[in-house]
Amino acid sequence: MDNELIAIVGPSGVGKSTLLRILGGFIRPTEGEVILLGKKVTRPTPKIALIHQSIATFPWLTALENVKLGLKYRNLTKEEEDSIARKMLELVGLQGFEEFYPKQMSGGMRQRVAIARALAADPYVLLMDEPFAHLDELTAEGLRQEIYSTLFSQDTSLKAAVLVSHNMNEVVELSDRVFVLNGRPATVVGEVTIEMERPRSPRDQKFQEYLDLLYKLLTPVKKKVKEG
Amino acid sequence: MGATTGRVFFTILLSVLSGWLLGYVALKNRTFENIYISLSEVLESVPVITFFPVVLIFFVTDIGGTIGSQLAVIFLVFTAVVWNIWMGIYQAFKTVPENLREVSENLRLGFWGKMTKLYIPFSVPRIAANLIPSFADAMFYITVSEVFSVGNSTYSVFGIGSLIYDLTTAGEYTYALYSLGVLAAVVVVVTLLLREFAQYSVQRYGLDTEASSNAVRRGRFRIRYSSRLSNAVSPVTKLARYAIRSRAQEAEIEEEREKSHHLKTLGQIIAFVFLIGISYSVFTVISSVPDQTWGYLLSTTPYDLILVGADYLRVGIIAVISLVIALFLGYWLSLHVKTERAVVPIIQTLAAFPAPAYFPLLFAFTYPAVERAFGSFTDEFYVLLLGFISTFYYVFYSYWLGVKNMPHEYWEVMDNLNLGFWQRMSKIVIPSTFPYIVSGLTSTINSAWGGLAIGEYWPDIYDGKTLEVHTGLMKYLALADAQGNLAVVGWLSLIFSIIVVIYSVLFTRKLMDLAREKYVAEEGIYAA
Repeated sequence: MDNELIAIVGPSGVGKSTLLRILGGFIRPTEGEVILLGKKVTRPTPKIALIHQSIATFPWLTALENVKLGLKYRNLTKEEEDSIARKMLELVGLQGFEEFYPKQMSGGMRQRVAIARALAADPYVLLMDEPFAHLDELTAEGLRQEIYSTLFSQDTSLKAAVLVSHNMNEVVELSDRVFVLNGRPATVVGEVTIEMERPRSPRDQKFQEYLDLLYKLLTPVKKKVKEG
Repeated sequence: MGATTGRVFFTILLSVLSGWLLGYVALKNRTFENIYISLSEVLESVPVITFFPVVLIFFVTDIGGTIGSQLAVIFLVFTAVVWNIWMGIYQAFKTVPENLREVSENLRLGFWGKMTKLYIPFSVPRIAANLIPSFADAMFYITVSEVFSVGNSTYSVFGIGSLIYDLTTAGEYTYALYSLGVLAAVVVVVTLLLREFAQYSVQRYGLDTEASSNAVRRGRFRIRYSSRLSNAVSPVTKLARYAIRSRAQEAEIEEEREKSHHLKTLGQIIAFVFLIGISYSVFTVISSVPDQTWGYLLSTTPYDLILVGADYLRVGIIAVISLVIALFLGYWLSLHVKTERAVVPIIQTLAAFPAPAYFPLLFAFTYPAVERAFGSFTDEFYVLLLGFISTFYYVFYSYWLGVKNMPHEYWEVMDNLNLGFWQRMSKIVIPSTFPYIVSGLTSTINSAWGGLAIGEYWPDIYDGKTLEVHTGLMKYLALADAQGNLAVVGWLSLIFSIIVVIYSVLFTRKLMDLAREKYVAEEGIYAA
């Protein structure tokens, strides 16, 4: 389905980030395969862009130069690179900060730069590995409120996004569908479709019901005691 | 062999002990700290070793006897290894986590308690990271310095360096080869032990990360900082964090900054004076040189500058070749883990195997072929080769550590964005490793001077042949030294020290500052 935001949740160590890296072609799966638009994904590609939890920008490059890195593989002219990069920065709300270095920016702004860099690469899928985890709550909330409309705006090529998160509020607020991983070895123990209008409010009764459902699925799987 | 290795470890031990003491004093006294740091930084980026024809005169003539010769050798090696170790310890002391320091205050630990329970253990990984290059450096200079000549007399102390020298000069090549074999075996064993020690010390004394207290924040568990994951990070990556220095964090108020600036300048001035003072013969020159000699010395200065220029050119060539090979090889190896596991220890061992000990034999075996290929540039080739093999390691190892220490997120971004080889190198790998490159290149350049000091004029290197270049400061110095022309030696050393200090203050330190300010890859990862 187009413009769908999928979340993967599960307890620590269950393999969410590993799954995300398999989807992106960073790690080869021991079984199964990843297919994107009918083609097998065997290695990382700009068409599936990854956003890190520990926000990764290059301190020696300005915001604009950081974003331009996402365009390098397309072999565009300097002018085209410049104009697309500026547009992407504008899209994530960083107009006027083009010449700033990451050091001069807050964590939230840096993550916006990383998102702009990923979007500049014209991806179909965006993988987000706890993208708000290192931001303070206020900044994270601000970014969350914008991210959905930013990602699926007219100006991006994005078809789907996959979010890994520990934060259930965030997951209910943002996702269209949630996959819950649990157990050892991990399996999908639940798939929840969030059917709520956006913007979603945590005060909404339905919001709370979804939260309860997710937490229930996340409770530790009890080991069966074998009777001797 | 025992005598040589003993001397090396004695000097390293001396550096470590004095480093702990001075490091502690620097923590307690800001004035001392500023002077100490600027002095060490200047002296570290200056090839002090090249002033030694002159210093030796002091030890040999003023102290004299066996003690004089022994002290000269130890002093020579000491100055080659000490700055690195001192600065490593100081950096470790400055980065002791605030909470641990507060605990030690809380428990009212005294000097002894703080040192043994906190500061010394905390400095061990950094010292360990410095030990391998320090050992290599020390071996290089010790084999050279076990035999040295002043005027018409040759002085030697008993050790593997002097033994191989004696055997080679006497034409006993088989025995010389045996001795080299023994030397090689010791170097291999010591290098492997030091590697083990470095890895052990990081596991035992290293904190998980400098930000380990962030493991749990806002009640949530952060896998990145958990000890489980961090312990799985290869020891090399952890070691790399100890191998370069970030600027120590200082919370200063404005007034104090102004004051400390003056003190830094004072430190630089003292370093400068020290360098001049080290050219002991300056005193001799001033007090005993007749007027006409002064006139002669001044009139030769333009030519002296040409000599310095020729040697800078050689050092530049060696540095560029080393850097280019290091950049490609280091990156390639980091992508090919299996080859890397075999090749890096080999390079480390080769580096610690002192070139001056085996170079005459290498010369003997390759001379006919090289002469056919290079003709009148044969000697020049050998001098550059000696410079290269005795210095390549520093920039390679440092850069390789830098590549290994690149945040894994950067690798993923490079793969994700399908960056080509040149884009990776120019936009990400070289900038990420820039601080490592600068520190490695500084060592390479300094050691290259040491290589030139030996190679530019090497009488009777093999079978009565003398290895010598046409024009070069080091050759000129060696000749003047051999002729006992102390006025010329003093004058050349003085000119050279001035140029080198200017170069280090204007260029090397600027590069280091730039590296620390702009090219810190860790700062690109924002993890609150």
